[in-house]
Amino acid sequence: MATHAPMPGQQIPHGSGGGHTHHTDYRSIRHWWIRAAWCSAGGVLFGLLLPFFLRWVFGLDPLWNEQVYVTTTSIFSVIGFLIGIGCFDWWGRWMVGKHVDYEDHSFHGASSWRDYLRVNTDHKVIGVQYLVIVFSFMVISGLLAELVRTELARPGSQITSGEGYNTLFSGHAALMIFLVIIPSFAGLANYILPIMIGAKDMAFPKLNALSVWMLPPAGLMILMGIILGGYSSGWTAYTPLATQAGTGTTLFEVGVQFAGASSIMTAVNFLVTIITMRAPGMTVWRMPLLVWANATTSALVVFGTPFIAGSQFMTLFDRVMGTHFFDWTAGGDVVSYQHIFWFYSHPAVYIMMLPGFGIISEVLATFSRKPIFGYRAVAFSTVAIAVLGFGVWAHHMFVSGMSPWLRIPMMVTTVIIAIPTGVKVFSWVATLWRGKIHLNTPMLWALGFLFTFVIGGLSGVFLGTLPADIFVSDTYYIVAHIHYVLFGGSVFTVFAGVYYWFPKMTGRMYNEKLGKWHFWLTFVGFNATFLPMHWLGLQGMPRRVADYDPRFANLNLIISLASILMVAGTAVFFYNAITSWRSGPKAPWNPWRGRTLEWLVSSPPSIFNFDATPQVVGGPYQYGVAGARHAIVFAPEEIGGGELTETTHPTILVVAKDTVTGKSLLDATRELGTHGLWRFTFVSPADTDAEKQALVRRHALAAAVLDKAGIQASGKVVTGDIVQAIARAAQDEHAHEIMVATYPLGESQWLRQDLVDRIRKATGLPVSHVTVSHKEARATLDAPGLAHVMVLAHDAVGGGALLDEIRRRADRSPARFTLVHPADLPSPAWGDESNALRGDAVERVHQAIEELQQSGVAIQGEVVDGGIVAAARETVGAYRPDEILVVTTAGQDLNALRDVARGAIIDEVVLGAGATS
Amino acid sequence: MTTHAHDTKPATHGGSGMSRMNIGALGMSIFIGSEIMLFASFFTAYFIARSNAVQWPPVFEGSTAFEVPKVITGVNTAILVFSSFTVWWAEKRLAAGDRKGLIRGLTVTMMLGATFLIIQINEYVHLGFTPQDKIFGTVFYCLTGLHGAHVFVGLNALGFSLNRAKRGEFSHGNCGPLTAASIYWHFVDVVWVFLYVVVYLV
Repeated sequence: MATHAPMPGQQIPHGSGGGHTHHTDYRSIRHWWIRAAWCSAGGVLFGLLLPFFLRWVFGLDPLWNEQVYVTTTSIFSVIGFLIGIGCFDWWGRWMVGKHVDYEDHSFHGASSWRDYLRVNTDHKVIGVQYLVIVFSFMVISGLLAELVRTELARPGSQITSGEGYNTLFSGHAALMIFLVIIPSFAGLANYILPIMIGAKDMAFPKLNALSVWMLPPAGLMILMGIILGGYSSGWTAYTPLATQAGTGTTLFEVGVQFAGASSIMTAVNFLVTIITMRAPGMTVWRMPLLVWANATTSALVVFGTPFIAGSQFMTLFDRVMGTHFFDWTAGGDVVSYQHIFWFYSHPAVYIMMLPGFGIISEVLATFSRKPIFGYRAVAFSTVAIAVLGFGVWAHHMFVSGMSPWLRIPMMVTTVIIAIPTGVKVFSWVATLWRGKIHLNTPMLWALGFLFTFVIGGLSGVFLGTLPADIFVSDTYYIVAHIHYVLFGGSVFTVFAGVYYWFPKMTGRMYNEKLGKWHFWLTFVGFNATFLPMHWLGLQGMPRRVADYDPRFANLNLIISLASILMVAGTAVFFYNAITSWRSGPKAPWNPWRGRTLEWLVSSPPSIFNFDATPQVVGGPYQYGVAGARHAIVFAPEEIGGGELTETTHPTILVVAKDTVTGKSLLDATRELGTHGLWRFTFVSPADTDAEKQALVRRHALAAAVLDKAGIQASGKVVTGDIVQAIARAAQDEHAHEIMVATYPLGESQWLRQDLVDRIRKATGLPVSHVTVSHKEARATLDAPGLAHVMVLAHDAVGGGALLDEIRRRADRSPARFTLVHPADLPSPAWGDESNALRGDAVERVHQAIEELQQSGVAIQGEVVDGGIVAAARETVGAYRPDEILVVTTAGQDLNALRDVARGAIIDEVVLGAGATS
Repeated sequence: MTTHAHDTKPATHGGSGMSRMNIGALGMSIFIGSEIMLFASFFTAYFIARSNAVQWPPVFEGSTAFEVPKVITGVNTAILVFSSFTVWWAEKRLAAGDRKGLIRGLTVTMMLGATFLIIQINEYVHLGFTPQDKIFGTVFYCLTGLHGAHVFVGLNALGFSLNRAKRGEFSHGNCGPLTAASIYWHFVDVVWVFLYVVVYLV
């Protein structure tokens, strides 16, 4: 296996790829942030002066209109901030006609944490920036949710008024949707997607940076809307409530415009990247499903998001300019807001779900070690959901007073969407079917997602049917449904993705135990919180009201208490993420043995991901398919340009005794070793010295066989209690996985002792089990390239000296043996005397072979009529040995043998007298 | 395992080899999909208002209905459509290696675009109703205003391209920003023709 991986600390010049010049920008982050502060202040000033001037010129009275000034100052302060922080520097130079360098990478890549706090064009840095922003806002809006639950813990008023309560849940929803879920997928995809398709970056890196820097001000705007008050219309901001509400609503509308603009720019970027920057060989049907999902989602964003922009512009104009879009008295239509809003916001639920589907497809395939079931069906169903998603918006408006004829068509289209979604769910379940399931944290989240999303999806179908929807409209049933799809759906997939790619992004492994705590706390807390809401809703508890009927008190208290579990889980997550990022164990390139391109580069990847363009040669999910590969990654010319692979291979411990050289076991290890970057350590327990010696020989044989396939393997003989010894060996070898080989059930001593489960418990590692039959364990080892030694023994058979001689040869270098015993029989060969002698000879050979196999030598034997030369002539043709070892007590003329040896090396051993005893 | 490394390795880097121009044009085309939907959202509001109305255009004051100047705007439409041809001609000249032609074409286009904007603002001044006047005023000003803002952005894009062109930038096959600006300009024109037909004529 070619190993040209760069050593730690070894610098690879990046000019190799294609003339990149890479000087890091020397200005400190303070420079940029001070500039940003000044420009923001300038923006505020401009936002105050511009409307003042215009109103004065046009003689508008009064000069002061709070909403106008809030709108302009908020917009211009954000633009000022973006200019100040440096998003427009390059374009600014271009616009005014200054010289610009198209290959300028001075804002690319990160060498310290400071580089994450300034404008950076590296998609990996941007991905991390996205995720940090997202998780910060997740904390804030999670706390808002806890305040909501505190208010609802008991009937009556607890901590806030009705108006304040409305602001709390509005803020929670708006931040979670626009600042957490939607950008979290943009962040994950930003990091992973370009690497997955074999690109060095996104198509428009500077636009990418602008997208991410728009998010914090957009979020702050919404946050200020919550703090200043008056944003109490829910995240949907329905008119006429939104047109009449206070200043907070204006800030929300401006913030959403920036978040939406950021989404659209990212989507255009993703689409162009996916269309134009795929590596050679990456055809659309070789694209990982995450790429499919993001391409589809991006199309949804491009065509859907302008509608929410439009709806918020209209509301803003109604509030600020006195237009009449939603004013019935002047000919406007208040329901038209809902049509325009939901025409985006229904596709938006797929914008929040489809990338998650992509993540789940990656995680499920990798952790069940199986190709994704129905790859094309999953890809097509993604597109189908996106297309159908544009035709269902009015199912949010069954009780809004819209045209009644719209109801039935919208109900039908809504229910139809369950079909492509069902295709996905069944594909995932079929992927799990008979897979080798590894329950690592990402897999737990993926399985948890399957569980909760199916509940949320089914309650969605229930809600899509008109009579049911009218019955539960605006009750807690809706709250339960939306959380089952957005939390149990989207957020679970985000966590699956974050854990799955954590080693790739940070170069460190997260703590598996804490990861599992996070999952179980959240999973239990989640279901305990949201499942009872179905009942509350069916009993008629209305949503968006701070107070409720005392008969709902008990369930609400339980819900409020259960929600604290999720807070605990999230705290565990943050602790795990931060400590593991700082000081977790170093991650290998490919900890999950994934197939997609991001796993074929280092963790974290080098500054331009690939030093030479990778070549894609097959589908992305060919787990368990012999010889299949997805892609080849090359090293830069400077260090040979050969195939780039990892140097340190994680170890799989193979626990076996007599079965070490069994064909099934060797085949299993060979297959794993060829596809993953693994090495193997055979561990065998032994009691006696003889056993020990035999096992050492078997290990050497197995290692020799694997070596021929380019796989590293070694052996280790342990003593004492089996389970403890193996646990110790697993620790010493830093084993990643364990494979136990036993005889079939009923014949195996180990299975009778329940060894597989005991090892699993003692080590905490994934354990797989391989069965080797008795026959197989004893069969001749016929591996290509392994030396074959033919032992010709005439009179020496039957003595210990011959056996020692063969053992000595076996210890010299791994080989398999054929013992040929020429029996000089009296004529006629079918006579009784001959038969008796032949019987004795067979018995002798049998015994010798038995003893040799006991001591770990791979040998078979045969009795041949005739003298040594005749026997040799006959058998050499059949066996084609590499060596012939002649063992006699009297010596033998080798010249006659040489004529029949067909090029095999001939060796002679003359045993002393009495050797046959 | 090392066998097939070298023979499959491509000689150059850089993915499928799309040039900068194509990437810019593609990005702009996708973005225009977004812009179409933004206009579509305002047209949705327009059509809902129109379908709700008893008569269209509705009554403004007394018994007179809202009125918009069809003829002058028709001429203005012709000016804008003509500017689409001039920007196309400018690109043609660049393809032929005629930089002077490119600069002339862009200059004429910008002048036509600016003329369109001035006539449109002049129309606003003399219309006699404001965005605050019933739903007709609202949708009329918001649709034409949204379009006007796009013309303004398009003029800027063309202006920056002109600036770069004067500095000797752009050549045939390497003119991404110019192509993007001209695609945007065509889009602005097509939207206006639709808007003129729907809002002014029908």
